[in-house]
Amino acid sequence: MAVQIVQDLEQNIKNFEDLFADCADIKRRRIRVGEQRERECYIAYIEVSLSNVDWEDSAVGKFLQTLQGMPEGEMVEYVRKNIGGISDAQPFGTLEEAAQGMLCGDTLVFLEGYDKALKIPDKGYPGRGVYETESEKIIRGSNEGFSESIKLNTALIRKRLRSPHVKVKESFAGKRTNTNVDLVYMKDLIHPGVLKEAEKRLGEFEIDGALDSGIIEQLTEKRKYSPFPQFQTTQRPDRAAMAILEGRIVMLTDNSPVALIFPATYNTFIQTSDDYYSRWEIASFTRVLRYLASFLAMVFPGLYLAMTNFHTQILPTDLLLSLAAARQGVPFPALVEVLIMEMAFELLREAGVRLPGANGNTIGIVGGLIIGQAAVDANIVSPIVVIVVALTALCSFAVPNEELGTAFRILKFAFIFLCGWMGFFGFLAGLLGVLIHLSHLESFGIPYLAPFVGADLSGYQDERDTFLRLPLEFLKKRPVYTREGARTRLRINKDKK
Amino acid sequence: MFADNWKISLRQVKRLLILDIFGLSSLLLPGMLSSLTGADGVFCLLLGMAGGSLLLLGIGVNLRQMKEDYYHYMAETVGQFLADFFMVFYFLYFITLCGFVLYETATLALSWMLPDGSFWGVCVLLLLLAAYGTIRGIEGRARIYEILFWFLGVPLLVMLFLAMQKVDSDRWAPIVYSEGGGILQGGLSFGIFLLPLAGILFLKPFCKEGQKLASCARTALFSVTLLDGVIYLILLGVFGSNTMGILRRPAITLMGMINLPGGFFTRQDVVMISVWFFALFALLHTGLFQSSLIIKEVFHEERGRWSLAAAVALAFAVAVALFHNQILAEAYGIYQKWIALPGIAMISLLLLMVHWIRFGKGSVGKKGGGR
Repeated sequence: MAVQIVQDLEQNIKNFEDLFADCADIKRRRIRVGEQRERECYIAYIEVSLSNVDWEDSAVGKFLQTLQGMPEGEMVEYVRKNIGGISDAQPFGTLEEAAQGMLCGDTLVFLEGYDKALKIPDKGYPGRGVYETESEKIIRGSNEGFSESIKLNTALIRKRLRSPHVKVKESFAGKRTNTNVDLVYMKDLIHPGVLKEAEKRLGEFEIDGALDSGIIEQLTEKRKYSPFPQFQTTQRPDRAAMAILEGRIVMLTDNSPVALIFPATYNTFIQTSDDYYSRWEIASFTRVLRYLASFLAMVFPGLYLAMTNFHTQILPTDLLLSLAAARQGVPFPALVEVLIMEMAFELLREAGVRLPGANGNTIGIVGGLIIGQAAVDANIVSPIVVIVVALTALCSFAVPNEELGTAFRILKFAFIFLCGWMGFFGFLAGLLGVLIHLSHLESFGIPYLAPFVGADLSGYQDERDTFLRLPLEFLKKRPVYTREGARTRLRINKDKK
Repeated sequence: MFADNWKISLRQVKRLLILDIFGLSSLLLPGMLSSLTGADGVFCLLLGMAGGSLLLLGIGVNLRQMKEDYYHYMAETVGQFLADFFMVFYFLYFITLCGFVLYETATLALSWMLPDGSFWGVCVLLLLLAAYGTIRGIEGRARIYEILFWFLGVPLLVMLFLAMQKVDSDRWAPIVYSEGGGILQGGLSFGIFLLPLAGILFLKPFCKEGQKLASCARTALFSVTLLDGVIYLILLGVFGSNTMGILRRPAITLMGMINLPGGFFTRQDVVMISVWFFALFALLHTGLFQSSLIIKEVFHEERGRWSLAAAVALAFAVAVALFHNQILAEAYGIYQKWIALPGIAMISLLLLMVHWIRFGKGSVGKKGGGR
């Protein structure tokens, strides 16, 4: 049962104190306002969320100053009608709502004779501000990255899409964290079914805490046992803005710099922002490289095993002899050799991620050069396996999306076992298994393999932006996620040329 | 939302059908035709295509007359008893086809890729993959072959182009030298390979434009005849009719002989087997899908899990029986030629005639149009 805020300030203070008993981080203060200091008010805020250096310059300070010079009789009316003259201030009728407002990082003001609590925004919780992204590096384009503040992240998108059609639908996740989750989309471009489905999925679970977008992602994806991500993640506001322009929806979660984009397809995971900022030849070349890399990241060690253990007839004799010579003295079967190196590489990678910046790089160099060389010198692995594993690692790094790259890294081990056990047949069976799985996979109703499948839909030109990124003049239509009738994104004015 | 409508497009059907009939026919037919007719195999292909077109004509009219699915159409036309009997007939055809293709794919894998492997192991793995592909419905199945189509088609066309350099056109002669009986038998053999096209009768509820299914099947028929014809002529030009007659899978032997420019890969047969592996898998998948669909419809099973499990077990049993008993493999050929082929043609014709007698010729088209 919600506790109503009443005109009696003492009652309100008592209710508030009861609710926030033993909360040392919440500061409360009684202040007298009015010309004769005849009326009392009560302010409450979270310790660091209110500027204590320039108290007078803060919104709360200015609000209180205004009340100081006001006759008592006008005070409540002024607050009621003008909400204290502060644009962002918000009155709440119940204590629970007011408390929630304060927990979002704002200041709460109770005024004697006023039956509402006023939430006044100030500095808010400490955050990082706008920094360069750590991942998804690009050569050309903006380097701004999302931060932990959802408001800042929404503003970074709004800064790029200055259209009233951009809508931000707010909801909350986490019974105890009450985390803000915003769905950002272009109203006239999205397929309404996708928005409805997203809202439905967000309402399908109740969790105590949603501390990162990753938790929301896992709880809202349909195929939970698939290694492949069904949401695209990004830390780049320009990527998110681009997705919104394609008729997709961006899900922002408070305290998380990672935005979720949906629907997502294999093709969208391979695309990067600068694919569209660079010339089409360069973009197409790197796109083909990335597609190839994503495939090789999964199958390269397996193929090596199949070719050297089962189907040596494929390779030229000279190459075969040099491979055999390189393996001289190695006591392990090729399968074990590859597994040792792959596991060593995965350990180095994990260690590199956990260690602080410079140390992480050192681990990479030490691991790659010293351990690799030492393993070869000690005849534990052959040099060719080091090359295979290193190339596979390079391929996995070339996949622009971390989650997709991880899926390939996991599947790589399945291919190593299949190919080590059954040669090229194992490779084909594995490939078929992955293909069947991907063919069944969908992200919000869009086939994961689109536009390679289902490309015969009407008014649809997505195939122009797949392996090759055709010149922008050819990309006149938005992708299939966009609602029908709103697919045109580029018109060339021939008469003005 | 957009995709989750349990319907597939005509393009997907077309690609599925092409892969279905291309795999087995291009693998086994050239050797068979060569031993039957020498250099006259192309005439067998043309004869088979003509027969296939006639069959598709009947199937097309039946499709137009169909209001719901094939089972209901049969029951409505010839009564429940005969409809059930025909469903059993179709089930037998598809389940034995599935078993035979499983046997062929497994022996192909064991001969060229995994000489020391276990037939049982390979069969189980293939069936599990096919079951996984079937369990999520027809949309996912159609997407697999939609994407595989070009990934298999382009390398195959390149390899065929390279193989043309080895063709000796003198080996195409003597032409029109064989007896009519041989050509007729060859045509019948090609007809057997075209029988999976009859599966479109069951696809109407799953297709967006069900009334155009027969036209899709016709395109598939013409494309595969053309492709098989080209492959046959290349193989004939490379091996000659005598050698080709004794090779079981001459197309794969040919792939091992082609030298790629640059010479990095010395032999491509293992790699190019993937084309036939995937094409055969498509047919195996079709057999499993159709047979489990028939059990599901006849027994009114809701989710289809038990039907699929039963179809998997039966297909496995057929493949193992064929592997262990060569006589059964021959008997299967006889069954295809003298029971399956005429049976499918007769059912189509019977349904057509009974429907005309009962509902009149004018009902064609009016009742059609899909759902």
